[in-house]
Amino acid sequence: MPSRPSPDKPRRPALAADAVGHGADAPPASQRRRRAPTTAAGTSVMTLVDPAVRAGAWAAGSDAPEKPEVRIGFIPLTDCASVVMAAALGLDRKHGIRITPTREASWAGVRDKLVNGELDAAHVLYGLVYGVQLGIGGPRKDMAVLMNLNHNGQAISLSAKLADKGVRDGASLRAYMTREPRQYTFAQTFPTGTHAMWLYYWLAANGIDPLREARAITVPPPQMVTNMRVGHMDGFCAGEPWHARAIADRIGFTAETTQGIWRDHPEKTLGTTAEFVQRYPNTARAMVAAVLEASRFIDASASNRRRTAETIAAPSYVDTDTDLILDRMLGRYANGLGRTWDDPEAMRFHGDGEANYPYLSDGMWFLTQHKRWGLLKEHPDYLAVARKVNRIDVYRQAAAAAQVALPASDFRTAKLMDGVVWDASRDPKAYADGFAIRA
Amino acid sequence: MRDPLDADPLNVDTIRAGLAAAGFSEVETVDADLALPDAIAARQPDLIIIASESAARDTVEHVCVSTQHAPRPIVLFTDNDDAERIKAALTAGITAYIVDGLRAERVKTVLDVAYARFQLDQALRAELDATRLKLTERKLVERAKGLLMQARGLSEDEAYKRLRTMAMERGLKLIDAAQRVIDVMG
Repeated sequence: MPSRPSPDKPRRPALAADAVGHGADAPPASQRRRRAPTTAAGTSVMTLVDPAVRAGAWAAGSDAPEKPEVRIGFIPLTDCASVVMAAALGLDRKHGIRITPTREASWAGVRDKLVNGELDAAHVLYGLVYGVQLGIGGPRKDMAVLMNLNHNGQAISLSAKLADKGVRDGASLRAYMTREPRQYTFAQTFPTGTHAMWLYYWLAANGIDPLREARAITVPPPQMVTNMRVGHMDGFCAGEPWHARAIADRIGFTAETTQGIWRDHPEKTLGTTAEFVQRYPNTARAMVAAVLEASRFIDASASNRRRTAETIAAPSYVDTDTDLILDRMLGRYANGLGRTWDDPEAMRFHGDGEANYPYLSDGMWFLTQHKRWGLLKEHPDYLAVARKVNRIDVYRQAAAAAQVALPASDFRTAKLMDGVVWDASRDPKAYADGFAIRA
Repeated sequence: MRDPLDADPLNVDTIRAGLAAAGFSEVETVDADLALPDAIAARQPDLIIIASESAARDTVEHVCVSTQHAPRPIVLFTDNDDAERIKAALTAGITAYIVDGLRAERVKTVLDVAYARFQLDQALRAELDATRLKLTERKLVERAKGLLMQARGLSEDEAYKRLRTMAMERGLKLIDAAQRVIDVMG
């Protein structure tokens, strides 16, 4: 194992900026307590790794991947880029594996193939992994989040018809819905997934009850555009490039970016099953290391992003025009109603590892929202589930192999668009139950 | 169930014929689009059939989640008739059976297996839920007993009797009485 050349540097101002810019409370004391080992600058990498894991991984004197060929599923979306690029740039071979990115048609298909082992891992919605862990509406299986693939870069589009009525954002949507009562339909991409949670959060933060005042449904992204065109739908939340596409097709406008709901929110993960990690720990580590390197490549420069956009625009991946992907990947936004802006908080794939760390607090947040919207009947043991699912042990080994810095804590706090602070070290039950609008 | 963006991946006519031969008289083909949840709610089908590689599966998923407590079998069809995949799907507890969708004579067998599997899964799941509930109950009762023993200096037996009396007097289940003790003393 190479030892990490640079000592644990302070996080990109992310954590600090969260505290200042978002007015969040000081990081919980528990952060310092829990993460004490990693704050020792210059500590040898080996001491950062859980001794049991270390023993398991290297007892045989080899850290060679047990399964050298892996199939990683992806859904054609901009944020599948790091998985695709890990293979396209040959970063997988550098870590002793070969990744075959496998295009999938539906999240349900991704889930089934993860569960039955047809896929070794996948580019998958954060909330979906937790939904399977708890058996929400489908098979239950012990799952693993190996890393977060990206922050930000999703959006909520509203129909051009609403734009014609003067609707521009959440507040004007609320006002219009009060003025013109009828059934309003909003779509997301998977019932337990991230887009459902962003959509519900945004509607509720604007005083719209997503379960009672609107009809929320699940629709595959390619159908969103079609349905909005014929007027069956008032808005949708999904990944890119579908919002850029909605604007290009003149059927809708971007009412909100998800970074506007939660700056630097978790999104897709590299997910697999607990069983896979147990059977192939070295392969799991190699996958994360390769995807970490690809993430770093994508974020390193605008020209790397361009090259990434060109690669993933191909028919075998996202199958669209490079330009539709690239602009928003570079943070160049247009809302479709004449407003353009440069968004410094656009989709991030790496952020010096900040965007990749499988924070326990991120996993816990999705559980709080599953509870909030009635997908879970009872409160789960939030921390225990997150500790089980988010494989920080594997991530750390991979980060060491790819020489990626680690944050000082397994927890981060955030202040979301409604001013409510998510601090996992406080009572997650109270957080989940504390929203005025909920199931 | 048909993905409106897809050109008949299922060979709907063949499956219809197979269903008719299997004795299903009311067969309806619907687009898996916005109207799907309403269509399912209105018709209450015994069985939902969809192509396994259809993007529209996520729409069906929405129905599964919103009817978590009254699930119905979903059959996936694919052209890829791979015994290993079928086995993998079944071991994973997926209520689905993957098979070559193009031969009508096989449809009946498929449906029989899928339906039997579904019923077995439901039975097992119910059993598992009951066991889990019992376990939770026992943990709560144990904890409440512990609290009573500690606070009141009772023996284990006395603590249990106290809990039972409390439950009976207030018309509560034992587990609810235990929860109250924990709420107050825990």
